[in-house]
Amino acid sequence: MAKNRKKEEWENNMVETKTTADIIVNIIVYVLVALVALCSVIPMWHVLMSSFSDGKTLLAHKGLVFWPVGQANAEGYRLIFRNNSILQGYFNTIVYTISFTFFGFMLSAVTGYALSRDTKLKKPMTMALMLTMLFSGGMVPGYMVLRSLGMVGTIWALVLPGCTNSMFCIMMMNAFNAIPKEMYEASHIDGAGHLTTLFEITLPQAMNMGSVIILNLVISQWNSWMQASIYVPNKKALWPLQLVIRQLTSENANFLNSSNPDYSRYLIQFAVIIAAIAPIIIMFPFFQDKMEKGMIQGGVKG
Amino acid sequence: MAKKNAAVLTGSARRSWKTELKRDWVVYMLFVPIIVYEIIFHFLPMFGIVMAFQDYNVADGYFGSPWVGLKHFATLFGGEDFPQAIRNTVAIGLLKATIGFIAPIIFALMLSLIENKKFKRFCQTLSYMPNFVAAVIVCSLFTQFLAKDGPLTMLLTNIFGLTNQNWFANDQIPVFWLIYLFMGIWQSIGWGSIMYVAAISQISGDLHEAAAIDGATRMQRMFKITLPNILPMIMMMFVINIGTAFVAGYDNILLLYMPSTYSVSDTVFTYTYRQAFGGGSSNYSLSAASGLFQSVVGTVLLLLSNALSRKTGSSLF
Repeated sequence: MAKNRKKEEWENNMVETKTTADIIVNIIVYVLVALVALCSVIPMWHVLMSSFSDGKTLLAHKGLVFWPVGQANAEGYRLIFRNNSILQGYFNTIVYTISFTFFGFMLSAVTGYALSRDTKLKKPMTMALMLTMLFSGGMVPGYMVLRSLGMVGTIWALVLPGCTNSMFCIMMMNAFNAIPKEMYEASHIDGAGHLTTLFEITLPQAMNMGSVIILNLVISQWNSWMQASIYVPNKKALWPLQLVIRQLTSENANFLNSSNPDYSRYLIQFAVIIAAIAPIIIMFPFFQDKMEKGMIQGGVKG
Repeated sequence: MAKKNAAVLTGSARRSWKTELKRDWVVYMLFVPIIVYEIIFHFLPMFGIVMAFQDYNVADGYFGSPWVGLKHFATLFGGEDFPQAIRNTVAIGLLKATIGFIAPIIFALMLSLIENKKFKRFCQTLSYMPNFVAAVIVCSLFTQFLAKDGPLTMLLTNIFGLTNQNWFANDQIPVFWLIYLFMGIWQSIGWGSIMYVAAISQISGDLHEAAAIDGATRMQRMFKITLPNILPMIMMMFVINIGTAFVAGYDNILLLYMPSTYSVSDTVFTYTYRQAFGGGSSNYSLSAASGLFQSVVGTVLLLLSNALSRKTGSSLF
């Protein structure tokens, strides 16, 4: 850190003689970086502005929408509230995200704690976790196991598989290992059992890593669609939002070619995309730092 | 000798199972959930692979279905679709492991050249966004943008004079591969650059200072100081990339391809998915065989890349 500060200070104070070539390179770099940033948000901006546009004008409009075309209105959002399958999908996604995150985090934390203690199972379990990273049975054998357990077509097939993985368990193990040994000894001397030590004393201190795992779980479940397309393809009442969006947009692709398309249906597709992205984008400034740190730590560990 | 060994053993290894269980039974209970989880979701499916060598049907299960040996593998490699899927997987995987891999590095290096800290941070934050947008939404956006008369199609038509067409319906050789590559880069260029940006910020300022005093320009310092310093990180990431290149990152194709473009867009992953869950009649055994092939190649690549990384001194496990 001290080195960094020194570097920054030096960069600020140094008077660098810039050649023309340097200035040209600088301009190119600024333009390119700005372009990447711009490209990252333009599609979302296009959708946002389209969602406030007039359906009929929008369908006839070619190219990017930088500002609502036609009479600006919030018709698309009003339609969302009248569409039961979208509301149901939104509700399902929230339920799935909460349960998936709960199960995944508890499992990772408990396993991480158990792995961090000195037991005979530590080595064999680490080996088993490594093995699952190396080789997987694949899609169909996994499906068959869940089928024989009666989970296919239920919420369990969506919230249990993949809720934790070897990476998360090992990350939590490292977090528990990083807590000073004295902490464990002190709580042991005070008569706390392992469960108390885990949930009341050490887990709060391991929450730096814990929150990274929680964020990863929330985002991956919020955005997931394939698990549902495999396990609940015919039960629309169980569809998460992403699957509803998928059907809506792919239906619209054929639908809009008909001679008398319903413009409000075209509009609703943009509104629902915004409704699906909004929670994550709004949360983004709050979790950006944590995710970045987690990414760097995870990477350093391999 | 025995005494020496005993002295080396410490903690749990020295105690017997009985005293261990008595002493730490709570910790052993904490292992139960993950053991159950691993068995159900990882180890049972591994045994389930036997169905790739059976004519599996759901009614008869693993024990009643007839054994057919390598029949399904013969079908896979004898037909046209599967070898085509392998070719597409290799092509897309190679593009991603080379061009797709370099893009975030270049972005990180460009960021390191920017002096205005606020501008740098702002651009970085914006570039993270696509990584958090759901696959369904990203794919539907790209489908719209590259459709006939879509914004990107118009751009390509107006600037490069390419035909106005639905690019996803184009089954000429590199078109779908390049679109998929570009989509991957768009999604990951910002988020993928984090590691490199962090590594660059760790480089000691003294090096740059000394070089600058000796008259090195910014560009010279980038190539002679920054790049060599993050080279170990680049090597490590490259090895990880190679290890997962055959298995990961093909799921979005399910949202983009159509039957008329299977010849260029079908991959081993999508083939596996389609045989079992693609609607119509499911051929579970054929899908399991294709999935097994994918897993085995994936494992071999991972082991190879790990061996490679041992040589470069940064092994994964």
